[in-house]
Amino acid sequence: VLNVAATAAPTLAQAGAPAVQRALRGAGLHLDLGLVALRVHSDAAHLAQQLCSVYRHFPLHGANAWADVHVALQRARGLRRWWRPQVQFFCDGRIAFDPFPANAPLPLMEWSVNWHIGRRINDTLLLHAGVVERDGFALVMPAIPGSGKSTLTAALALSGWRLLSDEFGAFDLARQCFVPALKPVALKNESIAVIRGLGAAAELGPEFPNTRKGTVAHLAPPARAVAQVHVPAQAGAVVLPRFQAGSATELLPLEPTMAFTSLSFNAFNYAVLGAAAFEAVVGISHRCPAWQLIYSDLGDALNTLAGLWPGVVNKVRA
Amino acid sequence: VNDRLDSLAWLAALREPCSALAWSLPQWERVLRIARRLRLLGRLGESLAGAGLLESLPAPVVRHLRSEMQFSRWRTTSTCWALDRIAKVLADAEYPRVLLKGAAYMAQGLPNGAGRLPSDLDILVPQAHVLDAQHRLMAAGWSEGEVDEHDHRYYHEWSHEVPPMRHPVHTLELDLHHNILPPVAKVHVDAARLLAHAQPSPWPGWWVLQPQDQVLHSAAHLFQDSEARERVRDLVDLDTLLRHFGAEPTFWPALAARAAELGLTEPLALACHFLRAWLQTPMPADSARVIAASGPGPLRRAWLHPLWAALLMPGEPDMSPPWRQDAAAQLLLLRYHWNRMPLKLLLPHLWHKVRTARRSEDTPAALP
Repeated sequence: VLNVAATAAPTLAQAGAPAVQRALRGAGLHLDLGLVALRVHSDAAHLAQQLCSVYRHFPLHGANAWADVHVALQRARGLRRWWRPQVQFFCDGRIAFDPFPANAPLPLMEWSVNWHIGRRINDTLLLHAGVVERDGFALVMPAIPGSGKSTLTAALALSGWRLLSDEFGAFDLARQCFVPALKPVALKNESIAVIRGLGAAAELGPEFPNTRKGTVAHLAPPARAVAQVHVPAQAGAVVLPRFQAGSATELLPLEPTMAFTSLSFNAFNYAVLGAAAFEAVVGISHRCPAWQLIYSDLGDALNTLAGLWPGVVNKVRA
Repeated sequence: VNDRLDSLAWLAALREPCSALAWSLPQWERVLRIARRLRLLGRLGESLAGAGLLESLPAPVVRHLRSEMQFSRWRTTSTCWALDRIAKVLADAEYPRVLLKGAAYMAQGLPNGAGRLPSDLDILVPQAHVLDAQHRLMAAGWSEGEVDEHDHRYYHEWSHEVPPMRHPVHTLELDLHHNILPPVAKVHVDAARLLAHAQPSPWPGWWVLQPQDQVLHSAAHLFQDSEARERVRDLVDLDTLLRHFGAEPTFWPALAARAAELGLTEPLALACHFLRAWLQTPMPADSARVIAASGPGPLRRAWLHPLWAALLMPGEPDMSPPWRQDAAAQLLLLRYHWNRMPLKLLLPHLWHKVRTARRSEDTPAALP
């Protein structure tokens, strides 16, 4: 699979920041996230470098391909640029959010693109969940505040699981399976050092201090996840992670109703999709076993989930 | 077909959906972006779906049309539900409750009632009963947002509506009007005349303005508003109303007469000018002549038409708005304030606005 990617277009990292910069300033940089394709324009100084770091394995395509979301990150005009330069986010030529400091176009782009995907994609159920795949089946981790979902998703993506998404658990209603919505995993504060500690495979972008969510850094989606950005996964299991300092790793089986509430109450467009969303989440909750995972040791949690998986695959297949 | 469809030409597909079958993928990509920006994507989707053409379109296009229709239908359902609840709250009130704008189009089942993105509800009641309606709504859980003393006075003395109301269960904002234009504005309308001709709508408990008044309200709303930039959607609404109601032979002569009666000849003339030029809205020649002649004279037209054209014309999605549009917006904003209030009210009001620098819905929001 890796060879295919290498013989086609060069990746952003291979092409290098000047080539990415040319695309951003010219016809636009095309990024295929699976669920949607982006086209990005920019005259911001730091964006090319930052994209080369966290979208490093994405191919540098020609600009003619179809795009679902068109964004631009442009240096803010006005007098302020001389003493506190800023970068402004545009979607279809309209400003949607407050500007960010000029050296932080990436977090502005990531958050704003998420907002626009969540608003405009309503043919797919968008759960707020991390999704990784192993043996063809998806492990779904709904985002419950303080769950450490992104940390666990990032760690799984670096230890034998394929990353589908950290933000949007994108469930295709027609095909009844999860599709990748592949973006860099946004890590906050303490979890940055935790993931950096996992070794050289953890390809992290620059750190952005003092954002609304504290310090943020992004994990680049691994090459395999990018190569399989259009490969879906059947629903396998639902796990509600809960980081609890000092606790032993513990898996508590959950009733389907708990899986249902944690999935449906943490979704972007559940209400918009109505009955179709309800039926999809009921289906997932009935088909898939669910657990709460209490952990403090990340390595131990990863081993527990890896050990759990053959049983899940057998059960869901049957 | 040109590779860059004219930024207005695609609007023909709202009425003749078959014309969209000829568009290439790059043309579709641009149309989706412009239509989304103008809040017309849901309407485009509904038109194509109504003609049974969705299956014939490329998959990446269809998903966006279906997605937007899904979103629009959800908002529409929320609106209908809120209206159903409000109708119950006002059920035994002894005065008419008139739906304005989007909700009225929905209630009448007009083609522009489908595919909208309603975010507020506009209701008109007689001025003598505004307080009664407001008290009934408040008893049912609706409440005014945080309004300071100045704004309170602004709404109750100088405005044509009470402060917007919200409800913990409903997502929509409720705007309770006692008129369609501010009573202190240079051009103002006697609301009693509007109410005298209001008609029951198919929705129980709700009335709508008579057809001519719906058109005049829409035109006045567009051409006397503070922010009319790229408001092609309002022109499309007017086009739909005129094509629909204009089928009745008595409609057009009555429209011209009614505009003169209500003092709304200028907004109607401006609307008809742009509807004919941009949307090829059919209108009988004699009525069109009467309307144009009663509108702004040649000198006023010479500066009003280019200004409004610059303001209303949709921009290119990848470019910042042309300076013409910014300049036109500033000039027309000035004119708007000038016409809206006498100077002795306007200056203190603007001073208050500057001091509080309040954010409106359209200004950028902080990211979550």
